[in-house]
Amino acid sequence: MANYYDIDDILIEEEFVPVLFHKPANGVTIDPSAETNCVEQGAKVELPFWLAHELHLRQAVSVTLPACFDQKTRLEIQADAACVDLRSRCPYFYEFGCKLQPLVTDRTLGILLSTAFKLRYKERLTKVYTAAHITASKFLPLLTKEETNLYEAAHLSMTAFKKWRTGGPRFQRASILGRKRKESY
Amino acid sequence: MAGQTDPHISLFSPQEVEFMAEDELVQIVPNMNMEPLNFISGDFGRFVPQIPIEVPLWLAVALKRRGKCTFRPPGWLSVDNLTQILEAERESQSTFQALPFSYVEIARLLFDHARDDIPDMYMVRSLVEDIRDVRLHKLETNLGSFQGTSAVKISNVSAMEVNLVRPFVRRALEAFYKHDKPEADADRDTRSSRQPREANNEPRRPLRQR
Repeated sequence: MANYYDIDDILIEEEFVPVLFHKPANGVTIDPSAETNCVEQGAKVELPFWLAHELHLRQAVSVTLPACFDQKTRLEIQADAACVDLRSRCPYFYEFGCKLQPLVTDRTLGILLSTAFKLRYKERLTKVYTAAHITASKFLPLLTKEETNLYEAAHLSMTAFKKWRTGGPRFQRASILGRKRKESY
Repeated sequence: MAGQTDPHISLFSPQEVEFMAEDELVQIVPNMNMEPLNFISGDFGRFVPQIPIEVPLWLAVALKRRGKCTFRPPGWLSVDNLTQILEAERESQSTFQALPFSYVEIARLLFDHARDDIPDMYMVRSLVEDIRDVRLHKLETNLGSFQGTSAVKISNVSAMEVNLVRPFVRRALEAFYKHDKPEADADRDTRSSRQPREANNEPRRPLRQR
């Protein structure tokens, strides 16, 4: 865990993952619609990541890939990574994937993440500096949280630079100076 | 999560970069007599009318505002030189021409305060702006060529340009680094499990997703 107080980190761990129980568990209300307060061995349940992670460490469950990394998404990313709406699938696509990586048996997940990021970075994010904000706003809703942060970092520095270039009041008098002079008159 | 810290952090604002550029030395021709000035960065003077002297840009601007001197525009700030640089910048897509590290800021300060001392002011100004736009576009194209490398070498990028892309590049490289690590791990794992003996002799071949 990189930063205990990082709000994004907390939200990532709230994402649900499907798990398969290896051991029966009694006295837990994981599924509110279940008739009894226990989970059978071999039951498939969706748990938040933080819980699934702890149970996985205790060998109680095995984690399977959540829907946002399914075959359909992979095919779409292979077809045209830049146009895939990753935010609606999972706003923390990359970070969530990185956290899932050690828990799942699927070795291609890391490669999927890095290819997706590289393609999307090349297609979308490098046009930030010269593209107009209007054209950018078209693809902004498709970006994940991390990509939005990247975009904003670039956009903010560009706006600051433009503001500096066009000028404005260059020397501002400190308010305290003006007051002193008035008093002396 | 390194890629997710506050996006609003940029180490310097353009104004601060300009402030630092004001320490660059420029040539002025004073029109008054003045004793030498002793600063932490060195002594400047003595000021004698019509004798050119090198002073920090901020001092030159202050003297100019009081009408105590005229600027000698730096050698690179001429129409001929700038036209050449612009041509060269347009020709090559990957390399940047050598310009003073803070050419954007120096040009801006001179255009603001020493309008009458620069020959062909409007031409020079539009040339500098063109050069800056071409370079910025080129820099952006270069950013697109990042392929998860851990070290990036682009020479002759000026202070303002570096400052402009710094927050973006830092975060992008962090993200690349983060995503490259698991790939390397997966690569090693599959290799070692299949052929533990020959793993060392094999040429490195990155796994590609099909």
